[in-house]
Amino acid sequence: MKIKDQVQLIQSGKLSLKEFIKEVLKESSKINSELRCLNYLANDEAIERAEILGKKKGKLFGIPITVKDDICVKGMETTSGSTILRGYKPPFNATCVERIFNEGGIIIGKTCQDEFGFGSFNTNTSLDFERPLNPFDNERVTGGSSGGAAAFVSKAKFSTAALAESTGGSIVNPASFCGVVGLCPTYGLVSRYGLLDYANSLDKIGTIAKNVDDAELLLNVIKGFDPLDSTSIRKEGKNIKIKEIAIQKEALNVDKEIKDLILETLKKLKIKHKEVSLPLTTKYVIPTYYLIAMSEASTNLAKYSGMRYGKEEDIKGDFNEYFSKIRSTYLGREAKRRVILGTFARMAGYRDAFYIKALKARSLIIQEYKKVFKEYQVLVTPTMPLIAPKIKEINKLTPLQNYMMDILTVGPNLAGMPHLTVNAGFVSKMPTGIMFTSDHLQENSVIEMGKKVEELS
Amino acid sequence: MTEVKIGCEFHIQLNTKTKIFCSCSVSSSEEPNTNTCPTCLGLPGSKPTFNKEALNQALRVALALNCKINKKSYFSRKSYFYPDLPKNYQITQYETPVAIEGKLEGIRIKRIHLEEDPGKLMHQGAVTLVDYNRSGIPLIEVVTEPDFKTPNEVRLFLRKLTTVLEYLKVYSRKSELSIRTDANVSINNGERVEIKNITGIKPVEDALEYEIKRQEKEKNIVRETRGYDADKNITYTLRSKESEEDYGYIYDPDLPEILLNDKEINEIKNNLPELASERAIRIMKEYKINKEDAEVLTQELKLAELFEAIAKEISPLLAAKWLRRDLARVLNYNKKELHEVELEEKHLKELLKLVEEKKITDQVAGKILEKLIEKPFSPKEYVEKESLGKISSSEDLRKLCLEAIGENPKAVEDYKNGSDKALDFVVGSVMKKTKGKADAVLVKEIIKKEIK
Repeated sequence: MKIKDQVQLIQSGKLSLKEFIKEVLKESSKINSELRCLNYLANDEAIERAEILGKKKGKLFGIPITVKDDICVKGMETTSGSTILRGYKPPFNATCVERIFNEGGIIIGKTCQDEFGFGSFNTNTSLDFERPLNPFDNERVTGGSSGGAAAFVSKAKFSTAALAESTGGSIVNPASFCGVVGLCPTYGLVSRYGLLDYANSLDKIGTIAKNVDDAELLLNVIKGFDPLDSTSIRKEGKNIKIKEIAIQKEALNVDKEIKDLILETLKKLKIKHKEVSLPLTTKYVIPTYYLIAMSEASTNLAKYSGMRYGKEEDIKGDFNEYFSKIRSTYLGREAKRRVILGTFARMAGYRDAFYIKALKARSLIIQEYKKVFKEYQVLVTPTMPLIAPKIKEINKLTPLQNYMMDILTVGPNLAGMPHLTVNAGFVSKMPTGIMFTSDHLQENSVIEMGKKVEELS
Repeated sequence: MTEVKIGCEFHIQLNTKTKIFCSCSVSSSEEPNTNTCPTCLGLPGSKPTFNKEALNQALRVALALNCKINKKSYFSRKSYFYPDLPKNYQITQYETPVAIEGKLEGIRIKRIHLEEDPGKLMHQGAVTLVDYNRSGIPLIEVVTEPDFKTPNEVRLFLRKLTTVLEYLKVYSRKSELSIRTDANVSINNGERVEIKNITGIKPVEDALEYEIKRQEKEKNIVRETRGYDADKNITYTLRSKESEEDYGYIYDPDLPEILLNDKEINEIKNNLPELASERAIRIMKEYKINKEDAEVLTQELKLAELFEAIAKEISPLLAAKWLRRDLARVLNYNKKELHEVELEEKHLKELLKLVEEKKITDQVAGKILEKLIEKPFSPKEYVEKESLGKISSSEDLRKLCLEAIGENPKAVEDYKNGSDKALDFVVGSVMKKTKGKADAVLVKEIIKKEIK
């Protein structure tokens, strides 16, 4: 049932909210034991909120919502999937969480993720976190980094949607692998206040849902200017008519079955389309993205040093020795890799060649996308170059091969442009997403395309 | 002769109500760690939002120091690990600061940038505590070219700078002035040594003097960073150049660029208050006082304001003399500064009016001034109550003079033998009898006449 129908059902009084939430929590617990997709199940908090939700108002009245573990919910352990933050309970709500509460939504738990969002498969989990499993095939990955969010929404039979977050593709990637809808908005449309930073110039909070309507509804609740986030924007997009869409030529260089599925879907959509090329993006998007993301991440992670919150130990030696001890013990392997690479890229002597150059490349990549959107309203690509791999296959990948998995998703993320994935069909019994990207603030266009694809089935 | 080159970085606390990136109070009188929030504590998920008042004040200082304003400037993250730094990076400006290329007192100013203060460490034996009340307090850093030739020039420059800041209301003398200086010094074109974190004005001169002597004495001067121990008045090695930190600057992606247009810059420029140097020239002309008096009187804002208020009603020359000399003497003697005493303008005016109208003597006025800086009262009422008015009856005075002559035969004799000092002694004796209420010149004349 779509969220808006479920809200009506609860508001009509035909369904007891408390009973509904109890059922939801029971079911969630089962899902979690099968898929290991929750870092925290908020049994007490959810029931308490169901009890205090008096007036039957709000676009999300009584709807269970999950929150990615890198988003602060007051009083709930928030770790961003990292052992170093074990025990940290934020004293404040993220703005998006606050807005969900204002619309009557009920937070039922925190979903798992790659540590700090550092991964494409949700297999870069920290020391004492488990890897979530794909609901379609438990031997396969969920995708990442918002793996828990996608797996949970995919598996749940009740109406629910998820707050997820994307830096380089972390919303659409797991949504595609788990056969659900992922909607990542324009950078700045949703306040980042309360989001644990990965790379601040790239981080975007968005939604994962069972259908495009739900994803849109949740986005409408959380979007909008917030004075607490200086990069939050006031502007709104205009409604434009989709006349012609572009297919990115280089993005069809993927598994043949995936390519065929995308082309077939396009044919069924009966919309005028044309192949376009984004050579600069294709060539430079991965290094550009990773240089910026790692440079920023390495400064963001500096604060995790065992002072005031998270993991701590008896103080021995000077502060340098103490900080090093905490960070070497409790940060995971990939987190360390990105801190080291990111620190290197911004060091005096290397900064111009890496960090500054990447910033320049980002501007050129944005221009290349902007050029496409002068002629076309939407750009289409497969969401991922492959179907969800098996967990044991991941272990064989080198870090670089790992990073290459993001080739299709990092472009729109680097450009800060809205993109949406919706399931186009199945390849080897695994769901496979089609991704639409549009110009800044043109969320409406990708949403419209998503709905058209849904209508096909 | 040793050739000395000194360049300085002055970290100045701005006079805002709230911190630079959050809405916490900047009040320093609170209990430790009470003026804090997720942002200035650097809690995960918090974000900075820029306090425009800090920008406004930085621009006022920059324009007063004749700087060029950058229409586009950025915040950067300066990364280093230290327990007083909540995020382990400091938000500051790197590539493009808010202002560049200014000048004050012939010293070239290279740049002025905005930044946040870290927390404050308090060492208590084996334990170190952190007070985050200071974390996020807005600072500007004023960086000079290496134009200073002596430590004394640095101190004089700092005093001028302080006056500018006071006139701009960026700092009030009532609050604790927070200027921390990093000074780079080299002699005879040798290696440059940086002395970090010197608090106050006089200690900067002391530290530099010590350091120059040290460099003259020691043969091998290495490029290094040194600390300053104000109690022992020595500098000491903090770290050598090899272990100098790489701050790995990146643009702070949480904060958009600071954008300014000509209109905004001109508006601030046109609304700058009259500065000390301008005020000195104006009051010199307006009140016809000499240049030196005008300069001294404008060095401190309150003094300048006091002078102008009083000079409107009584003789400016008299007002200048009393404010510049007598008031300074009384304050100096009591080791007080003007902003520390409750001296009220109306009381000072009353007092000087009594002097101008010759109702009291300078001596009595001086004594009243000494009392006035202790607590406020009306000098007029006080004079009446204590009958301190000048003795105007010459008959009364003559009586007292005759008494004194009778009481001091030896001095009278000496005077007759040509000792002027002896005469002064007799005059003094009369002044004592009248508690200073007599006109000393008149007394002298009467005595001279009577002795003849």
